[in-house]
Amino acid sequence: MAEAGQKTNAPLWPGLAALLLATAYVGTMLAAEKQRTIIALLGFGIAAILLAGWLRLLEPVGRSFADREDALGALSIAATLAIGGYFREDHFVLLLVVTVLLYSVATLGLNIQFGYAGVLNFAGASFFGIGAYTSAVLNTYSAVPHLLVLLIGGLLAAFIGSLLLLPVLRTRGHYAAVVTIAFALLLKTFLEVNDVLGGPQGMQVPGMKLLGWSFNDNITIGRLSLSFYMSYFFVSLLLLVAAFILVRRLERSWVGLNLDALRLDETAARCFGLNVARWKIIAFLLGNFLIGIAGALFGMVGGFVAPNNYTFADSLILVSILLLGGIGNPWGLIVATLIVVVVPEKLQTIQEYRFLLYASLVIAVLLFRPEGLLPRPVRRYFPGWRP
Amino acid sequence: MLLRSRTSTMLAVTLLAGTLVATAEAKDKVKVGFIGPLTGGVSVNGLGGRNSADLSVRLRNTDAKAKYEYELVVLDDECKPNVAVQVATKMAADNEIVAAATHYCSSTAIATVDTYHKFGLPVVVWGAVLPDITYRNKYAEVHRVNGTMINQNEANAELVTKLGYKTFAVIHDTTDYGKGHNQYFSEALAKKGGRIVGTFGVTADQQDFTAELTQIKALNPEVIYFGGLTPIGVRIRAQMDKLGIKAVFDGTSGIVSEAFIQGVGPLAEGVLAFREGAPTEKLPGGKFFMEKYTAQKYDNPPEAYGAFAFAAMDLILDTIEKVGPDRKKVIAEMASVKDRDSIVGKITFDDHGQNTVPIITKYVIQDGKFVEWDNSEYTSGKRKLPGQK
Amino acid sequence: MDAGLLAQYVMNGLMLGMMYALVAVGFTLFFGVLDVIKFSHGDVLTVGAFTALATFAGLRGIGIDYGPINLFAMLAVAILSMAALGMLIARLIVLPLRSAPALNVLLITLMLGTVLRESVRLFYPQGANPKPFPALLTQTSIDLGRFNLRLDNGLMLAAGVLIIIGLQVLLNRTKLGLAIRAVAQDEETARTMGINFTAVVLMTFAIGSALAAFAGVINGLYYNEINFSIGLYLGVIGFSAAIIGGLGSVYGAILGGFLFAGLQTIGTVVLPFASAYKDVFAFAVVIAIMAWRPTGLIQEKISERV
Repeated sequence: MAEAGQKTNAPLWPGLAALLLATAYVGTMLAAEKQRTIIALLGFGIAAILLAGWLRLLEPVGRSFADREDALGALSIAATLAIGGYFREDHFVLLLVVTVLLYSVATLGLNIQFGYAGVLNFAGASFFGIGAYTSAVLNTYSAVPHLLVLLIGGLLAAFIGSLLLLPVLRTRGHYAAVVTIAFALLLKTFLEVNDVLGGPQGMQVPGMKLLGWSFNDNITIGRLSLSFYMSYFFVSLLLLVAAFILVRRLERSWVGLNLDALRLDETAARCFGLNVARWKIIAFLLGNFLIGIAGALFGMVGGFVAPNNYTFADSLILVSILLLGGIGNPWGLIVATLIVVVVPEKLQTIQEYRFLLYASLVIAVLLFRPEGLLPRPVRRYFPGWRP
Repeated sequence: MLLRSRTSTMLAVTLLAGTLVATAEAKDKVKVGFIGPLTGGVSVNGLGGRNSADLSVRLRNTDAKAKYEYELVVLDDECKPNVAVQVATKMAADNEIVAAATHYCSSTAIATVDTYHKFGLPVVVWGAVLPDITYRNKYAEVHRVNGTMINQNEANAELVTKLGYKTFAVIHDTTDYGKGHNQYFSEALAKKGGRIVGTFGVTADQQDFTAELTQIKALNPEVIYFGGLTPIGVRIRAQMDKLGIKAVFDGTSGIVSEAFIQGVGPLAEGVLAFREGAPTEKLPGGKFFMEKYTAQKYDNPPEAYGAFAFAAMDLILDTIEKVGPDRKKVIAEMASVKDRDSIVGKITFDDHGQNTVPIITKYVIQDGKFVEWDNSEYTSGKRKLPGQK
Repeated sequence: MDAGLLAQYVMNGLMLGMMYALVAVGFTLFFGVLDVIKFSHGDVLTVGAFTALATFAGLRGIGIDYGPINLFAMLAVAILSMAALGMLIARLIVLPLRSAPALNVLLITLMLGTVLRESVRLFYPQGANPKPFPALLTQTSIDLGRFNLRLDNGLMLAAGVLIIIGLQVLLNRTKLGLAIRAVAQDEETARTMGINFTAVVLMTFAIGSALAAFAGVINGLYYNEINFSIGLYLGVIGFSAAIIGGLGSVYGAILGGFLFAGLQTIGTVVLPFASAYKDVFAFAVVIAIMAWRPTGLIQEKISERV
């Protein structure tokens, strides 16, 4: 074991190489049109990962990401910007990318609740929907500045989540699951029968307007014509970066330590004087806040909200992203979101079968690799310490 | 020398002819789109529409005089507004698709008008009847070849009041489609002096109607008007019978479908329905359409709106032939469609892109088939609707 | 409101309650024996209903069209095949994961439910469309003023009650029932007493799934229609009902089922023109009950080793 204070940082280049390869792969996947190319690409990708695993190439990459997170994080942002720049005129690809970014934010929120604090939330899509409906209502009926609308969306989601606090705190395990499931169904039914919020027909959401510049118009700078989704792309990327940094700092701080303690053994945590209720509340509300903001922005991107977008099945998708990627690992989350969002859209032939495939994939993961694709690494208690 | 020059001339001519033929056969490919409910409770209508649009594209591709070769891109809106917006975005964001024939379900059509306007994709609606689709906004992109629900509800109100019925209960689904029917029928009925004893809104996928029907039983109306689509129409009719309600079941174009008769079986006898446009066989191009359709051996009948889907797609293809595969030019050209011939009659778009379909067909289900009211045994008095004087 | 109308509401509520109770009892049995919530239970119901429909179509195809025989065959095939499916699920998925964290099992069974549901939707011909279910029971009805008593509803209600009584007898008066209760109470001790743990678990799953198949057929007969998503709705309600009644208690499950149906009916009556809110009302009450009694109305007796 290395002594505390001794820095033995892993080199940067394995992580960098992996990042470049991944970016190139994602870019090609997004650009590919023919079904055969896509299937070939998928097969190639899976084979490459399995081969890398067998050749023990994945460990240096993991270490490099763990040690050089800040640098690699900045490089990832650059990579995402590159992808956005490459597809600057393609509406649909940009829409996919924005979807990935915003779903990642929502799943990060879920991660705080479930990955760190162990609070079950099967109503993730419902809070996402609350954020979306907030932006629909506020954008249509009031002149609240849109950035503020995002904030209000998050706060409203957190506030409605607080109504569930009492049952969530008092229940454990299966009983806790029922509370959020019942809430998910309740909200969907409520939105459907309530005419004020559009009922099953849903509502149109006016696009975002920042400082007088409407996001819904195509951008033309000189001879460059960009898809109007670019503006949303930048805002979503900003949101994801902020959420990611927040989650990471949270995890490494004493807040994260407390959450982990109460997740792993609640009784022991109580013995050590942790106020379990307070930490659960904070995790639950913070998670819902993030989910709400992501929902509010996504509502503006899609331009349309309807109760059918935010059903229990969609909440299950968010939970399966969390499981697939590795509970508690933000990087795994992003990878999983990419897979879950992009692959079915691209692979048209499996569009119909996508729920079946998700479910089977999650079952397989849970049976054979319950830690997920990128398991959460053990907490590093001292800088430079390697377990 | 002469021989050689003749051979070389022949060679040259053949080569030239060959090149001409080759370039003529290498027509530019143009993509056109179709959106309809291909899965779910009303899928038979969506599949019928898709087959009809496909028929139009096929016939056009076998036409040597066509300038382009067309490819039909088909997407499924599942009759759900949120799915419709997603697939509409997908179709409209694809710059290769020039125009599309869209939507059977009104709930999906009204949800997507803004999407088509945002991306500038010209569309022709083929089956949705809600007036708001063309009249709520003045979008140059949106057109419609079939009629709106206003006329069918007026004809409906007229028939039922003429038959002497005075008390009505209304069940409608809570999408804009059902609400539209409710609004227009109530207005038309009020003008004719009918009295509505209760109005009930139900969700489009509701299973259990015993709550609403029990209350309706207490109110005892003579007619139950249903503004909604086949899946819940089937359930309501069946559960009406289970609760012993003996009123007339009065439906709209939403239940004009074989699936309704198959779903309720013998309970379909005596059900009323209305639809804008003549029955397919009686349309100007009806026989031609049915001939070609059966020749293709599709596994689904065209259903009530197949002919309109064919006409919509034909109109799109004609327009592209005329102005080329450019969305803006297609929109400009479609604005000036006047008295255009088609299998459903002459198409003229008003300033909102709406075609007028003057005829309303009144149906009653007799012996498991949709029969025109005037030709049925109910008009002649041989059979009587429940409570008919 | 007059007596006839009230009777109609009560009848509606009883029918719903019986179906919910049948599903809830399944949940409770599984939990009692293995401490696992098998979320796919509702979808097993769907598969059972579709199996019955397929049997009917098959019998029709070979020319057998006599009502009671068809009904009997449908019930038999559905019940036996679902029992087999239940045992398969137990053997392959639930038993191997006994030592995994409870959440994993919960999620696996949730996903399994999705797999079952999607399989029906994709692989049954035109599975995405609602399918008419044959009306095989007598169609006669007796009009008692405002109340229309249908004999088939009465028959189904009676059958449901008989099944539940039969289950109670099985659990309390037979050796198998004794074994099930023993395993539910304390697995290790039961094993040391010579009870074949695996066999008992498989039998329990078989019984629970058979109940689901029965409920599925009843559902089909009641509404004259089935579609691939009935299981999801019934599963969640059955689960909520089992939870309200307290997991592990069969009486609790039955109570929970009828309670939920009662809540829905009260919701309909109290809000006559907004009866669509009945589900909102019912689920809100469920959440409130969970806040008040975190382990259900009939408390589960848990002791945690720290």
